[in-house]
Amino acid sequence: MKLTLKIWRQDNAKAKGKLVKYELSDLSTDMSFLEMLDVLNEQLASKGERVVEFDHDCREGICGQCSLVINGQAHGPEGHYTTCQTHLRSFKDGQTLNIEPFRANSFPVIRDLKVDRTSMDHIIQAGGYISSFTGMAPEANSIPIHHNIAESAFDSAACIGCGACIATCKNSSAALFMSAKIAHLAKLPQGQIERAERVVWMVNAHDDEGFGSCTNTGACAMVCPQEVPLLDITRMNYEYNRSLKTIDS
Amino acid sequence: MAIKKGLFKTSIGRKNLMAFTGLFTSFFLIIHLIGNLILIIPDSYFPIEFWGNVASAHDMYNAYSHFLVHFWPISLVAWVLYAALIVHVIDAILITLNNNKAKGEKYKVTDNSTSTWYSRNMGILGTIIGIFIFIHMTQFWLQYKVLENEHDLYNLVVATFKEWWVLVIYEIGIIALGFHLVHGIESAHRSLGVYPKNAMGIVKYIALCFGIIMAVLYAIIPIILYFK
Repeated sequence: MKLTLKIWRQDNAKAKGKLVKYELSDLSTDMSFLEMLDVLNEQLASKGERVVEFDHDCREGICGQCSLVINGQAHGPEGHYTTCQTHLRSFKDGQTLNIEPFRANSFPVIRDLKVDRTSMDHIIQAGGYISSFTGMAPEANSIPIHHNIAESAFDSAACIGCGACIATCKNSSAALFMSAKIAHLAKLPQGQIERAERVVWMVNAHDDEGFGSCTNTGACAMVCPQEVPLLDITRMNYEYNRSLKTIDS
Repeated sequence: MAIKKGLFKTSIGRKNLMAFTGLFTSFFLIIHLIGNLILIIPDSYFPIEFWGNVASAHDMYNAYSHFLVHFWPISLVAWVLYAALIVHVIDAILITLNNNKAKGEKYKVTDNSTSTWYSRNMGILGTIIGIFIFIHMTQFWLQYKVLENEHDLYNLVVATFKEWWVLVIYEIGIIALGFHLVHGIESAHRSLGVYPKNAMGIVKYIALCFGIIMAVLYAIIPIILYFK
């Protein structure tokens, strides 16, 4: 199949970027989206041009490293898939694809399609952890947890931290990402020690990193590769309001 | 890290404030609607017994509005309502400015299929409603309550709605209000953290019904008055 690509090229964070057009032919529909970019890069390299830089790692849909906004949709048209798990069969022969980096003020472009998502790490560092005894790993079954609670906590814990929610949000809010961790730990007994402080610390870090306010449009949950529930944001708001009462400051 | 809390200081605090003021104002809509419905009671229903013998919709409406203006607890709630509306607007501007700052470079291509248009354009809908409220208050509230130019509110209302452009402005304002409510009521509950899964399902349904019922009932009253 043939594709026309319009790819965002930008030398560094300060440089001005623009969309550059590339034509690719003889592509297989079984190729993944990133393999298609590899083909393009091989062609560019053989011509001596600078290759298109993009984030990727496991290419199995579990690491959260790949990004890209394809025709206005984070991770492409499939919904609840990562870019690496999106294949060319999702597109039509001869289609024009607009490929841009994840955009938010807190996601400065490093080069081309690569963005710096350290701001998300700072939110996790602020409170996305639990207190635990050091030493040997504890016996996994020593704390009984109801099956439904374990399942529900895992729905939230499934977040791979890719940032598609932030890239999609019209306010560049990290609410879904942040709330996934807060809900995950609030549901489990291990998370109770820092329960009240965690949400305040993380919300403060979120605001300090320059992310916006959630206006509950729900667009984030529609693109999330792990289908983190929108309800987690509501849960986070509950935890925040609860913490105002219980926190000692 | 210093702990910041409070309604104006954090992203969630600001949304809580939006929710409180928005829900309070929504509650007022029900009270306002009861008054409006008196306007469209057909003449054949009168006279009726309602705190004494009421001869017509004219008398009933004027008695009701006189009661609202001269009963002090209602005047007190009215001041809270004005404050809530002003805080709602200021808070919305603060949130929007902050959100605009958070946005990066604009996407060349955007796909909006992941959310509803009215949830993305609450600010625009709110601005339309704001302009509408300004027009609405200069027409009635200012004339009747503040300047006291007009003592027969029923006649003022009926005469005002005989103009076709008044009807058009009101219908636009009310449609904007309906969409603002459908997203606003749900969003407010989410912001306040009504998280049980079943509760959120019910809230979503109530928000939709409330928005539609309010918009339809508010919208038909000026139409009936125009053609009466």
